[in-house]
Amino acid sequence: MAASAEIFFEHDRWGRNLAWSAGLHAAIAACITLYAVVVHSQGGTWGTGGGGDAMGVTLVNTVPLPAAPTQTQNVLANESKGLTHSEPKPVVKEPDAIAIPDKNAKKKPKPVTSESRQKPQPEPEPEASNVVPFGEGGPVSGPYGVFNAGGAKGGFGVTGGGGDFGTRFAFYVQQIQRKVSENWLKYEVDPSVSQSQRVYITFDVGRDGHPSNIRVEQSSGVPSLDQSASRALQRIDTFGPLPSDYSGNKVSVEFWFDYKR
Amino acid sequence: MKRLLNWFLWSLLLTTCAGAQDWVKTGTGLGVEKIRLAVPDFKASTQDAKNPDLLKTFNDTLWNDLDNAGIFEMSSKSFYPLGLIGAPADIKFEAWNSAPVNAAMLAFGNLGVSGTNVTVQGWLYDVKNITSPQVLGKQYSDAATSSAVRIIAHKFADEIIFRLGGGIPGIAESTIYFVSSRSGHKEVWAMDYDGANQHQITHLGTISLSPRISPDGSRLAFSSLTKSGWEIQMYSLDLNRMVAFPHFGAMSQTPAWSPDGTKLAFSSSRSGDSELYTTDAAGANLKKLTSFKGLDLAPVWNRKTGAQIAWVSGRTGLPQIYTMEADGTNVQKVTDQGYAVSPAWSPNGQFLAISWVRRYGPGAPGAADIYMMDVASKQWVQLTHDGGRNDYPSWSPDGRHIIFQSSRAGGEQIWTMLADGTNQKVLTTAGKNTQPNWSWK
Repeated sequence: MAASAEIFFEHDRWGRNLAWSAGLHAAIAACITLYAVVVHSQGGTWGTGGGGDAMGVTLVNTVPLPAAPTQTQNVLANESKGLTHSEPKPVVKEPDAIAIPDKNAKKKPKPVTSESRQKPQPEPEPEASNVVPFGEGGPVSGPYGVFNAGGAKGGFGVTGGGGDFGTRFAFYVQQIQRKVSENWLKYEVDPSVSQSQRVYITFDVGRDGHPSNIRVEQSSGVPSLDQSASRALQRIDTFGPLPSDYSGNKVSVEFWFDYKR
Repeated sequence: MKRLLNWFLWSLLLTTCAGAQDWVKTGTGLGVEKIRLAVPDFKASTQDAKNPDLLKTFNDTLWNDLDNAGIFEMSSKSFYPLGLIGAPADIKFEAWNSAPVNAAMLAFGNLGVSGTNVTVQGWLYDVKNITSPQVLGKQYSDAATSSAVRIIAHKFADEIIFRLGGGIPGIAESTIYFVSSRSGHKEVWAMDYDGANQHQITHLGTISLSPRISPDGSRLAFSSLTKSGWEIQMYSLDLNRMVAFPHFGAMSQTPAWSPDGTKLAFSSSRSGDSELYTTDAAGANLKKLTSFKGLDLAPVWNRKTGAQIAWVSGRTGLPQIYTMEADGTNVQKVTDQGYAVSPAWSPNGQFLAISWVRRYGPGAPGAADIYMMDVASKQWVQLTHDGGRNDYPSWSPDGRHIIFQSSRAGGEQIWTMLADGTNQKVLTTAGKNTQPNWSWK
């Protein structure tokens, strides 16, 4: 009796060890799989992995070549947002089903959340007076250009001399816009950022076309975006000499970058 | 409702503010797009029998230069209004700046032969800006020959590209040096950027390879087979003859100029193993840069800074591209698979163009293709796909074009393309033409 009891006892202990062993094996296997997955996902830098589809497609945009011709957007009737913030329409949620009011149910007064009871909203931020509402109806007035490159957007304003630089030398203004957008490498922006505030950069263009005095006038709050924007300017040696019939010795430019991944 | 009213008031306020400041319209040229350019044929300004031929040469050359620049969208000639434009007074702006021509810029002018001279007047007008349209006005005068007229057209095209291309000089007057076997020996030849005017430079009667023009365009370094083996040779384009350069012996090959023109890097097997060396432009002050077992050759300097050198090394087996500082420190591997050779650094220092067989070896049929790699991020783009062996890329001075050697059409010939891989064209047809090198300006 005692012997059989001992056998039962041993069986019991063996089973537990088996369970432990199986568990540990499974854990090791899981560790290896996890390790392989992690290492492969992180170690797959350029060139390795060998897929013919591993092209850094964004690079083409950064080639100092003009991008493929894009359709000119009508400023007055496009869907891009303007410089001013337009409030989205509040979404009114329709109730799925209206419950039949129960006579016996206790009526619980619902807290009223009408707009009149809400805390007064802060007034919309007044934009800098040199910012022109863009695409919000009415003619666009201002030497502003807007460009789209790979989902990101930028724009600028130019001041110079008597203030007629933009009219007289529109081609030069477009050249600044084109050149800055070509030299903005969006891969320098922190990849975890998908969207951010606008960053304003100001700089002067000297007679020889060299940009100087490059400053971040208003930060976007994302350091890598601010940096990539000023680097775009630093990367440019020259925009080409200022037009010879222009009498001033420099032109000041404000350029903004909107980043959206 | 209140908010809407508020909003309306604000936008009204902003509009009036903006109006008060001296801001002006830019028109509809928004977005990153090519400049739409119309180039009607130039008009004869005199009555001379030579006019028609010279006009044709001029118009064709100007059109090709602007078309090849890569920054314009050329408005087709068939859309142009009838009648030639010879002077600013002839322009009807509405006819040019609206459909179907829809040009942003208009290049026009006249050409006239009088006696032995030809005079060309050319203008560039911003036709969307009617109040002050003139961007450029030029007058050229030269002998009434077709080669002089070609040069005038190149100059005018370069002037337009310089104005509208962000201050980067045009390449219409640049030269391409290459190796050709059409005389029976491999000699160094030269041609204009568009393949015209091909002429022989060296007459050594041996094998000359890898010509490299100096940054100022005065000297040509190349390697050739001499009595003492492969040596670096120097040819002066000012004197039109060979000039002395020390013989280092031991397979000295693949010279490369530093961007300031004061130094020369090359590979030599003086130590028994192929290593990189630098000297100054006259061949003095020999310094060894690498010492590692395995092949080291084909150096090229960072063309913007002159502070780095990219080269090909076989230290890990198959040749791969490496970079290092110009003093030999900080060696970094750029490619890590396949068979990568012929690095060429772009003028802005941002890219390396290389010839790469990405999967090399049995069972991996790969062709050598031209790739472009961003040096900082190591992202790359394949530029050629059309088969054949594509090798020896070289950048144009404006960084918008790449010239290379390809065997896709049978024999090895020199091809050109825009730096994004489009617009590929063959430039040479006679004999075998290899190892192109674009002048620095």
